[in-house]
Amino acid sequence: MPEPIDIQLKKGVLGLCVLAVLARRENYAYEIASLLSGAIGMGEGTIYPLMRRMQTDGLVETYLVESSSGPSRKYYRLTPAGHQALKAQSDEWRGFARAVDALLEPIAEPAEPQPVNEA
Amino acid sequence: MTRTEFLNKLKAGLSDLPASAIADIVADYETHFADGAAAGRTEAEVAQALGDPERLARELRTEAGMKRWEDSKTPSSAVTAVFAVIGLGALDILVLLPIVMAIAGTLVGFFFGAVGAFIGGGALFAAGPFMGLPGGAAASLLGGLGLMAASVTVAALTAAVTIWFVNGIVWYARLHYRLLKPALNVQSA
Repeated sequence: MPEPIDIQLKKGVLGLCVLAVLARRENYAYEIASLLSGAIGMGEGTIYPLMRRMQTDGLVETYLVESSSGPSRKYYRLTPAGHQALKAQSDEWRGFARAVDALLEPIAEPAEPQPVNEA
Repeated sequence: MTRTEFLNKLKAGLSDLPASAIADIVADYETHFADGAAAGRTEAEVAQALGDPERLARELRTEAGMKRWEDSKTPSSAVTAVFAVIGLGALDILVLLPIVMAIAGTLVGFFFGAVGAFIGGGALFAAGPFMGLPGGAAASLLGGLGLMAASVTVAALTAAVTIWFVNGIVWYARLHYRLLKPALNVQSA
């Protein structure tokens, strides 16, 4: 069972992670859930309430894609507001992560901010 | 847990939502099971990874209630949103209850006061001129109109404050729910 701080951190950045995943590629919920559960250990079922909330907030929208096998599939993509939210939240996250990293450094010298590689 | 057990528990938890909303949500999870099967996972594995269906149902119901409140500011959607939030356990209801009750009671009092003043104003306007009140018929007519206008103002202000109050509760609950009540993999029962 994860530590409370672990859970709280993950819950807090889950929305940001979904925005980032969708910015790379428009996707469907099962794929998003698999990516995130693999990467940050999120319960897969959480994706559905989260996607609904983000839809309510106008950050993502859905569209159906016809499938040759079985029923059509629901895809998610970012809205312009979603792109803005991703920009704002990733800036916030990087600033926060840099500040925490700097504090975790054992030597009390001013840490140079490391450039973050875009994945 | 099998697929059917999971979906039945989810449906049971969502039973007070409109049928179309339930069908929509259940379809999402059915697709998830189908995708899982296509990826070679068993029903039990998928259900385990999804998490507790009752907890997910609570979260989905809250989301639906808040969306309804955002779409239409009616008394019934306010009640739905507030009860959904309470059901989630996102608010420490024992701490907040006295405050909420006091504010809600005051708002209800203002509202009924406004209704009473409106009726009183109407009576004064209609009957006052024939009752020989001091000041004459004109004073009764103007006084009655004034009283009705004032009561409409108070009622409108009360409605505005009530909407603001419910928005505040919803905002507070969402903020705390997001940060403090995660539905991550804590329920591996």
